[in-house]
Amino acid sequence: MRIPLRRLGVYLAAFLFAILVNFTLPRLMPGSPVDSMIAQLGPRATPAAIEAIKARFGAVEQPIWQQFLDYLKGLATFDLGVSVKYYPQTVTEVLARSAGWTAFLVVTAVVFSLCIGVSLGAVAAWRRGGRFDAFVSPFSVVMIAVPPVIIALATLFTFGVTLRWFPVGYAYDPSLDPGINFTFFGSVFWHAIMPVLTLSPYMIGEFQTTMRSSMISVLGEDYVTMGRAKGLSDTAVMFSYAARNAMLPVMTNLALMLGAVFGGSIVTEIVFNYPGLGLTLFTASVARDYPVIQGQLLLMTMATLGANLLVDILYGVVDPRVQEGRT
Amino acid sequence: MSSGLKLFLRQKKAVVGFIIITGLCLMALLAPVLAPGDPAQRVGRSHQPPTVEHVFGTTKMGRDVYSQFVWGARPSLAVGFATGLAITALGTAIGLISGYFGGRTDAVLDLTTNAVLVIPNIPLLILLASFAGTVGPMAIMAIIALTSWPWGARMTRAQALSLKNREFVVAARMVGEPWWRIVFVEILPNLVPLIGINLVGSIIYAIVAQTTLEYLGFGDPLNVTWGTMLYNAQNSSAIIVGAWWDIGAPALGIAIVGLGLALLNFTFDEIANPQLRSGPALSRWLRLNRLRARELRAAR
Repeated sequence: MRIPLRRLGVYLAAFLFAILVNFTLPRLMPGSPVDSMIAQLGPRATPAAIEAIKARFGAVEQPIWQQFLDYLKGLATFDLGVSVKYYPQTVTEVLARSAGWTAFLVVTAVVFSLCIGVSLGAVAAWRRGGRFDAFVSPFSVVMIAVPPVIIALATLFTFGVTLRWFPVGYAYDPSLDPGINFTFFGSVFWHAIMPVLTLSPYMIGEFQTTMRSSMISVLGEDYVTMGRAKGLSDTAVMFSYAARNAMLPVMTNLALMLGAVFGGSIVTEIVFNYPGLGLTLFTASVARDYPVIQGQLLLMTMATLGANLLVDILYGVVDPRVQEGRT
Repeated sequence: MSSGLKLFLRQKKAVVGFIIITGLCLMALLAPVLAPGDPAQRVGRSHQPPTVEHVFGTTKMGRDVYSQFVWGARPSLAVGFATGLAITALGTAIGLISGYFGGRTDAVLDLTTNAVLVIPNIPLLILLASFAGTVGPMAIMAIIALTSWPWGARMTRAQALSLKNREFVVAARMVGEPWWRIVFVEILPNLVPLIGINLVGSIIYAIVAQTTLEYLGFGDPLNVTWGTMLYNAQNSSAIIVGAWWDIGAPALGIAIVGLGLALLNFTFDEIANPQLRSGPALSRWLRLNRLRARELRAAR
């Protein structure tokens, strides 16, 4: 299971870049953000809190490299600073509270869209030029081009406000106590339907488009002809011969899309008042709670890098040729 | 050229997309004629449903939604198109230079490209925008362009790599042309279809990102754009009170731009990559194939 050093280098560079942005931005800003944050704290601004904020945002008499080392040391111990809005809670605590909901939402939406998008793409490629293809493929491209805000607002208005089919806010019925029982899970599921349906069109469109074009090139391969020559049924050739190999570009695309999916989840959570990272980021940005906004970027970068790494590993499992080529 | 035009006209989707985009641009240009008066002016009562006088109704502040819609198209489209151009220019230049030079330049640029590519864009945009405070269209443009060039750079680099050892490039090098001339005059014209796809895709992305940022409240709320219209509508809880026209107008505008651009891009893709084409010829071939298969099965 070897991942080429080049890929690891890219991930390291991306992570360093995110850290550097976080470190330098507040130090470059005219009119230090420190004062506005201390003002934001108001009566809760204890000397300890002020000290912590100053150290983090560079309002201290220290050489810049010393500050950077301290900053890295803090990151290594998962110390992302204190939240200004929710003081004395730390950023890690604030993010941990909401990260689970976002992970739940994103993973559900990815699995849902992957199933639908890949099947649509495979069938469209199989019958390309047919009526199915002529309708589904342009539709997918359009789905990619419509911002998630629009889809979220349309879904909210149609199914939430007008038809009243689904609840318009929160991750579960606030009158329920979280616990491992059927009612609670049912409520969580019910509340996730609209957000998941909002996140999906973009991903279904992307998966469909990628799957279709990669499937079309795979269908020209000799082993597909071989499968047909063996007299296998269309379904067998389509799924066990062609689709399996055509999935590879889809997976690369999935890992790269994750950033956009996080973007979509931010908007979706705000529209549906869903208590995930996006809503936290939104309240933080309204309150100019810089430490939380910065922690958010690091967390989402880490999630995206993790997903990319996972895809690199899976790639080797699904397509052994890749691994051979690398060693 | 005329054959290219014919190819284009035969693609119904592209023609529809082109008409949509041209129509919206004309509407934006003719805003003073179509909706005379200041869009930010209070002209009626709060949240009035559409009437003959105010065809798209009014906002919470009693402003005419139609007038805002028409005027808002200007900055929304201008920022979208300009940012798309900037993203494409940046991506193409970086990709070309990286692919043509190879070696250490390529190693550094390729690493940067891939690194920026995996950093989630919207959280980065939000971070940059929140440090910059409320930002005007120019700052939004710069922020989006600086974070979203890698897609194009990656595609362009791959193409440049495959072109740089072709005969005409080698010949140009031997004649002693300077590198910038080889890159931008010899190689660049061969990338036109790719740049077209990149440009339309970048405009789509720029419009999505701009709308998102403005919806989140990072735009200048006094500047009437489709994104800030959404933001203002959201803030006045237009959806909950049932004022669908307040949200619907800007949402429809953005969705239609997306539709038009997507139809154009779909066609560009098919022209650049004939394998993906699903025109009448292919359907005929498929039908024949199916018939033959049926006959074979019947013969067995």
